[in-house]
Amino acid sequence: MSALPLRTVLRVAWRSLFIQAGYSPDAMQTLGLLYALAPAWRHLYDTDEARNAAVRRHLSTFNTHPYTAAALVGGILHYELKLARGEATVEDIARFKSTLMGPLAALGDGFFWLSLRPATGAVGVALVPVLGVWAPVVFLFLYNVVHFVARAWLFAVGLRSGAALVTRVKSLRVPTWSDRLRSISALTAAGTGAWLTVRFGAALHGAASEALDAATDVPEPTSARAVLGAAMACLVLGALGVALVERKVQPLAVLYGAAALAVVLGVLW
Amino acid sequence: MTWTQLAVTALWGGLVALERRAFLQAMLSRPLVAATVEGLLLGDVASGLYVGMVFELFFLGGASLGGAHPDHDTLPAVAGAAMAAGMGLASGVESTPAMWALSILICAPFGRAGLWLEHRLDRRARKYFGRAVTATDSGNLDKAARQNLRAMWPQFVFYGLLCAAAAAAGPSLHALAKGFPPSLLRGLTWAYPAMGVAAGAIAVAGSHAPKRHALALAGAALTLVAALVTGGLS
Repeated sequence: MSALPLRTVLRVAWRSLFIQAGYSPDAMQTLGLLYALAPAWRHLYDTDEARNAAVRRHLSTFNTHPYTAAALVGGILHYELKLARGEATVEDIARFKSTLMGPLAALGDGFFWLSLRPATGAVGVALVPVLGVWAPVVFLFLYNVVHFVARAWLFAVGLRSGAALVTRVKSLRVPTWSDRLRSISALTAAGTGAWLTVRFGAALHGAASEALDAATDVPEPTSARAVLGAAMACLVLGALGVALVERKVQPLAVLYGAAALAVVLGVLW
Repeated sequence: MTWTQLAVTALWGGLVALERRAFLQAMLSRPLVAATVEGLLLGDVASGLYVGMVFELFFLGGASLGGAHPDHDTLPAVAGAAMAAGMGLASGVESTPAMWALSILICAPFGRAGLWLEHRLDRRARKYFGRAVTATDSGNLDKAARQNLRAMWPQFVFYGLLCAAAAAAGPSLHALAKGFPPSLLRGLTWAYPAMGVAAGAIAVAGSHAPKRHALALAGAALTLVAALVTGGLS
């Protein structure tokens, strides 16, 4: 069996975007894996028995990060091709999957979920004062440039090199990038919180805030005293919020606590 | 609130619920994006943008790690934006910070409710895996593969309906809130930036950055100094 047709490879890559569609607690992403690999079987194996055996090989639980799953799907194709040529064994495929599922999940979680997404999300939110409705577009662009390039690259490297993809991924120094991205997230999230306080807290002293429909155009902050008051409130509330969350207080309780404090102050003022 | 607006909200809510986990995951379902588009669809961009901002910060540190899933971030964002826009539409003017605050307060727990629903739908998806195994046993490999897509429709329907219900509740909530005393309305107006700060603090704590306290202080201080120098940021 020679290489797979490009159209089939592209169909598998496209279908890998649905890796979590049929997620369930026991089988996890197994259904998604079966769906992704389905177009390849007729090109890889000539008989129904061989195709059936191939599908059965992949009925065991499969779970990893949805983006790094691209590397595993590509790698599985790599080994299935070798198996069809008689250059690999069924055990090679099982070993490849079971060895790399966990580490690739940890890599994807750490980089995409805990670093890139918070950083680009925080930057997107911080750009709202400058770009308004275009800020979400910038966020989508920043995130997806990395996301789609990574997914395509991981699939291609998995398909070309199988387990050797580990060396390629290691050379990217992902943990270093993760730390930098987390710093961006902390810096910009706090800045946005401060902006919200000044923009809406310092501005809303007067009668405009005492009617539900009155503040159609949110007034601009006018005095340095109002800004200074809002700044102090922001720093105290922000520091308290961070301290509470780091002491395992539920974020929802912190959110409601801040709102309750503001409502009480509004009523008593 | 017209039937068309409710249908559009249901469609968008269902689509982004699918995008969040079942397909693509290109972050169209993140609160900032999903809520802003919802606001655009209902003709009140401000409600989408400002409700989305707070929920984006609030859910910034949440992540699906291994088999553990975080609270649903898309449902409260789209429902909150739809509710705030519904209130704005009922008032005949653009939505206000008090409306955003009220919508956030009501819709924030939807994150937990959305997670509960997700778990229920995940358990329901077991039957599709069973069908895939049966189809494989009978040699029908195409049918086995197709089961993956079958699990998507309940998510689309349930999350879409919940978002439409939130939009429909907006006008009733507006009628109720109009009867609030002025002092309470002032408090709700202040609650919006207060929740923004709290959400920012939650994001800082959830960032797990090595020097997050110093960085957060620097970020907040820079913004506040800029505000003092310019007399307020627009």
